[in-house]
Amino acid sequence: MPRGPTRDKRRTYKSKDQKGFPLSSKDKGIPKHTLEGKSDLSGSSEEEGSEADFVFFDPKPDDFHGVKILLQTYLDDTQWDLSGFVDLILAQTTVGTVVKMEGDDDDTPFSIVTALNLGRYKDHKCIKELKEFLLKVCQEKDVIRDLRLLMGEQAHDVGLLVSQRVVNLPPQLLPPLHDALFDEVSWATEDEPTAELRNSFRFKCYLLVSKIYKHKNANQKNNRNLIRRSGSDGGDGIVYIKPEDENFHKLSLWSFSFPMHAQQVETQEASNIVVCFFWF
Amino acid sequence: MATRLMFENSCEVGVFSKLTNAFCLVAIGGSESFYSTFEAELADVIPVVKTSIGGNRIIGRLCVGNKNGLLLPHTTTDQELQHLRNSLPDQVVVQRIEERLSALGNCIACNDHVALAHTDLDRETEEIIADVLGVEVFRQTIAGNILVGSYCSFSNRGGLVHPHTSIEDLDELSTLLQVPLVAGTVNRGSEVIGAGLTVNDWTAFCGSDTTATELSVIESVFKLREAQPNAVVDEMRKSLIDSYV
Repeated sequence: MPRGPTRDKRRTYKSKDQKGFPLSSKDKGIPKHTLEGKSDLSGSSEEEGSEADFVFFDPKPDDFHGVKILLQTYLDDTQWDLSGFVDLILAQTTVGTVVKMEGDDDDTPFSIVTALNLGRYKDHKCIKELKEFLLKVCQEKDVIRDLRLLMGEQAHDVGLLVSQRVVNLPPQLLPPLHDALFDEVSWATEDEPTAELRNSFRFKCYLLVSKIYKHKNANQKNNRNLIRRSGSDGGDGIVYIKPEDENFHKLSLWSFSFPMHAQQVETQEASNIVVCFFWF
Repeated sequence: MATRLMFENSCEVGVFSKLTNAFCLVAIGGSESFYSTFEAELADVIPVVKTSIGGNRIIGRLCVGNKNGLLLPHTTTDQELQHLRNSLPDQVVVQRIEERLSALGNCIACNDHVALAHTDLDRETEEIIADVLGVEVFRQTIAGNILVGSYCSFSNRGGLVHPHTSIEDLDELSTLLQVPLVAGTVNRGSEVIGAGLTVNDWTAFCGSDTTATELSVIESVFKLREAQPNAVVDEMRKSLIDSYV
């Protein structure tokens, strides 16, 4: 990748419907993925599959409405300065990616990924409200001490990892999407015009707020204990909506979860919970 | 005056409320600050009624009404219908209609004299609208969109339409509706006027993302700055039966 103040970030990824067609990427170094042919869908005589090219863009102000919709339930159903938060994300063009479909007239974002320095933006109303919210919902005493430190004195070393997307975004896009983010963070530590900005991207740790499903137990107390066990697959009864969250959770130094009020799932098995964890 | 507010982090105020000159409907399940904003502006003048329609909170898009009546889709339950009949002033006729296009708020836009309707609306529904709401009905499109209720919002004093409406269409609509019209946006560039804004002759409510420019356009086209609620209500008071003594 050429280095310089303006790096060409646009990458196009072809992805095809899951009917046994191979996926490919124009970018070098990304291995080709081939999918096993899915069992044939009897009775479907229409077109073989739909092609979609996804393109990664820098955030720009026009993406406001689309990104706001993606982040609607970011902090559960709390009323907070979501518009201000979206503005912050879109203003940071050096680090952050918006995924759109090629040739889409509507220009709607399908995904947003970015990392915000908590210390740099600590005076913004949305960040203050975010901190208040997380400190309020954290029920675990040993974690809350660390959380308070992260939000307070150590805020300048913390990056808030924001990653949200539509549920049916092809998972093949995820590795390049996250690679792009971390590449941009490291480029920013060299390319930003002022020393202060360069240092603001030298994150020592990341904070991630995400949504998961947790199996409801007959005995509520057991739920708490489940979190502390370091994740064995499925053993802790957590279903990750975004597959990369499972990896982040395993790598995390600590995490906590809290129940969501919006979107209650009434089944016997699952209840929505948000996990916030710290990742180095 | 126009007020900015949010419903549970959504700026689409026109989805969760319905404002007319005789009553105001708000969706249940919102925060207290949502109701109190409406009540602060309206409580002395017209009743503010909490309701759902067919168990849904998107009441602004499902029903249509003016000072003469309120039309509800066939999905409205009997309890909701009864609740509305009990809570609204007697001179407002509440009727549930059988119409395939059940999102009446998206298909119909009206004030106290004229209504614009979706081109595919049943003939029978058109007659009911004319009868219950006491309006003249015109089938129209707005900037090529058939969902007239979503892309425009008008009162007896002015109207706001989809930003891409051409000058010729604006003139034509303005002649039909007999009110001044402006093509504009609400909620920071959103084209869905009906969802982002709810208005009557003296006040308007829009989403908190609405910029100062958009707000001043709204206040000027709907003539909200000089508007006094008492002047409008006094005209109606002769026919109103006071139900909230």
